[in-house]
Amino acid sequence: MAWLKKRLALLLSLLDALIEGSETVSYPETEMELPNGYRGAIQLDPEKCTGCGLCARDCPANALELVKESKSDYKLIYHPARCAYCGQCELSCHRGAISHSNRLTGSTKDPDSIVVILKDQKE
Amino acid sequence: MEKTNIPIGPQHPLLKEPLRLNIEIDGEQVLGSYLRLGYVHRGIEKLAQTRNYNQNIPLIERVCGICSYVHTTTYCRAVEELLGLEVPERAQYIRALMCELERVHSHLLWLGILAKHIGLDMIFMHTWNDRELILDIMEALSGGRIAHAVNQIGGVRFDLKAEHAEMIEDAVKKLNQEYHQLDEILENEPTLRGRTQGVAPISTEEAKRYCVVGPVARASGVDVDMRRDDPMPPYDKLDFQVITHADGDAWARTYVRLQEIRQSLHICDQIIDSISEGPTSVRARRKVPPGEVVMRSEAPRGEVFYYLRSDGSEYPARLKIRTPTLPVLGILPKQLSEIHVADIPVVLAGVDLCVACADR
Amino acid sequence: MAETLFILLIFPGIAFQLVSSWLFEWLDRKFQALFQRRVGPRWFQPLADMLKLFSKEDILPLGTNEFAAAVLPLTSIAAVLTAGIYVPIAGFSPASFEGDLIVILFLLSFPTFTYYLAGIISMGVYNDLGAGRALLQFFSYEVPLLLALSGPALMAGSWSIQGIASAQLEMGPFVLFQPLGFILAVVGLIGKLKRDPLDIPKAKSEVIAGSLTEFTGVKLAFWNMVVNIQAVVGIFLLVNLYFGWSDIAAPALAISVFFLESILMMVVLSTASAVFARLRIDQLAGFGWRVLVPLALVQLLAVILIGA
Repeated sequence: MAWLKKRLALLLSLLDALIEGSETVSYPETEMELPNGYRGAIQLDPEKCTGCGLCARDCPANALELVKESKSDYKLIYHPARCAYCGQCELSCHRGAISHSNRLTGSTKDPDSIVVILKDQKE
Repeated sequence: MEKTNIPIGPQHPLLKEPLRLNIEIDGEQVLGSYLRLGYVHRGIEKLAQTRNYNQNIPLIERVCGICSYVHTTTYCRAVEELLGLEVPERAQYIRALMCELERVHSHLLWLGILAKHIGLDMIFMHTWNDRELILDIMEALSGGRIAHAVNQIGGVRFDLKAEHAEMIEDAVKKLNQEYHQLDEILENEPTLRGRTQGVAPISTEEAKRYCVVGPVARASGVDVDMRRDDPMPPYDKLDFQVITHADGDAWARTYVRLQEIRQSLHICDQIIDSISEGPTSVRARRKVPPGEVVMRSEAPRGEVFYYLRSDGSEYPARLKIRTPTLPVLGILPKQLSEIHVADIPVVLAGVDLCVACADR
Repeated sequence: MAETLFILLIFPGIAFQLVSSWLFEWLDRKFQALFQRRVGPRWFQPLADMLKLFSKEDILPLGTNEFAAAVLPLTSIAAVLTAGIYVPIAGFSPASFEGDLIVILFLLSFPTFTYYLAGIISMGVYNDLGAGRALLQFFSYEVPLLLALSGPALMAGSWSIQGIASAQLEMGPFVLFQPLGFILAVVGLIGKLKRDPLDIPKAKSEVIAGSLTEFTGVKLAFWNMVVNIQAVVGIFLLVNLYFGWSDIAAPALAISVFFLESILMMVVLSTASAVFARLRIDQLAGFGWRVLVPLALVQLLAVILIGA
């Protein structure tokens, strides 16, 4: 009996597949939940950000841009189209201001239209 | 009959990535071949010189899609050796865990590709379904399925929580069952053995002469494995076997990769049981003192070799990567002579091509 | 006249064969998907594929014989549709005559020859390979298939399919008396249809699409139709020869039994596709002549001895 079971191993796995059903998730109809730690679009906590620019210096894809006039007049711009979703900015920030959310960036034909100004500090 | 040229050209159902192979045939006999690479060359080694050490980690991760974690681990270990950093033990165990999980998913992917090319679509879907278990774990641990981005110079960026450890244990148990089922299927399926046994054998001397590495070398009897010969810190305390096979044909390569799945799952079990408490990273300086270092690791496809030279600034002076697919591609023209046309998919699959690795 | 047109165009002519072929392709793809834990296509997928191909540009490489490229798929379809008219559907056979088994087997081998010619006239490397393999495969499976299919004919004492099917009403289904012949006939049918594990002429990873690599548009739609209609005619033929039972009094019962037997044959073909890897052409030639032909001869000998 065990000998026969070994010989027919592929047929038995076929029967298993018929019994267990399909593993496909029909995506747009069913909701897909992304786990908490999923690296999605970048978000900033404006209270903690001081405009030091370490995140922009360490970004490998130049997706973060710091336009700094003075210590209290700066703008942090995020280009989602260039972002590699690697999390290096999250690692480099000393204050824990910048982090990944688990939202997906949608698709677009014009990369410039989805540029986000994360913080605009004037005085 | 006259000779004709089959272009296994940049686009072909056999290839996942572009590559140019002109194969000369006479009827059903293959006479010779001509290989040309370079379609996926992105200039990573040159780009690495224009970015600082932190910016290079995501760049190195994108050398290859399937063995991305091993590349970043080797790079970080090279920089840490130049800095003189001692990585905490918990971080070493976590790195080894991710490397072994990656090896399992790479071999499962490979098995599916081999089955698909010889017409057994069922095994293809079956193994790729099992792969989803590992990819779900990776997504929960690190936030990404293929690009993990969890290595940093000085350790790892996340900590292994209790629920993650439970999830990994459950998945390892289920994967062990799947491994047993696959083992039975591959041993007893007559058509698969008929297609792979005796095809394109490489003898031990030839494997040594062409400097072949990885499962292809181990399938020809060359007993070499970087996890045992030049071990990363937790591997010297873990217990595993290095699988070799004497025949060197396509069936031997299948057997070696299948058994390596079992060994990797065994290593994962040991890591979960014996992981020690402690911090997961130490702080690293931005400027690396001058020096040069050579670092080797065992990727799923063989020995990956990094040479890093720094001149005291924030940017590397020279980074050289030797990936395991290159020497195996060296022996490919020799394998592609004196076989049938029908054996070309089996040979190409046995090589486990990762052209992105070869071209960088 | 009207009756002839009805037989030729509706049942068991073009419309019936076409709809059965779509049903067959859908069932086959659905079974393969269920075996692989996928969902599979919806019921109108084969029809949608055909309509999509009709809308594609019909282009051939320079140097191809355009007349032959247009005529070959039409000849193939004409041959298999003609074969379809002679195979009884649940006992209804409008034109059966003594010896039509031989005619049907001849007509069903037309697709192989047109496949070979289509490969020869196309320009390109893969076409020659696929064409040569198709003929080599033909030599390996056709002899065991013909020998196996002579078994029911000898046992029933008639060379018309209707006669063989009716004879099983008294003797019982022939699959019980000739199981070896049945298995050989199924293997031969898999080879004729060029399905996995014998899809060597159109192995996607080796010769991309064999003879049909350069065909697109309406011509490719016709080639696909040929494959599916040939499959359906082959299945009906085997059901008639080995299961029979087609002349039962109540037509509703006869049709349902016939339908169920056909579905059973489709399941057998799909399972055989899923479970085996593709053979190599020299392995097939060895297997065909060293294993299948002796077994077929043994089966034939057994039938003759039992009959005598």
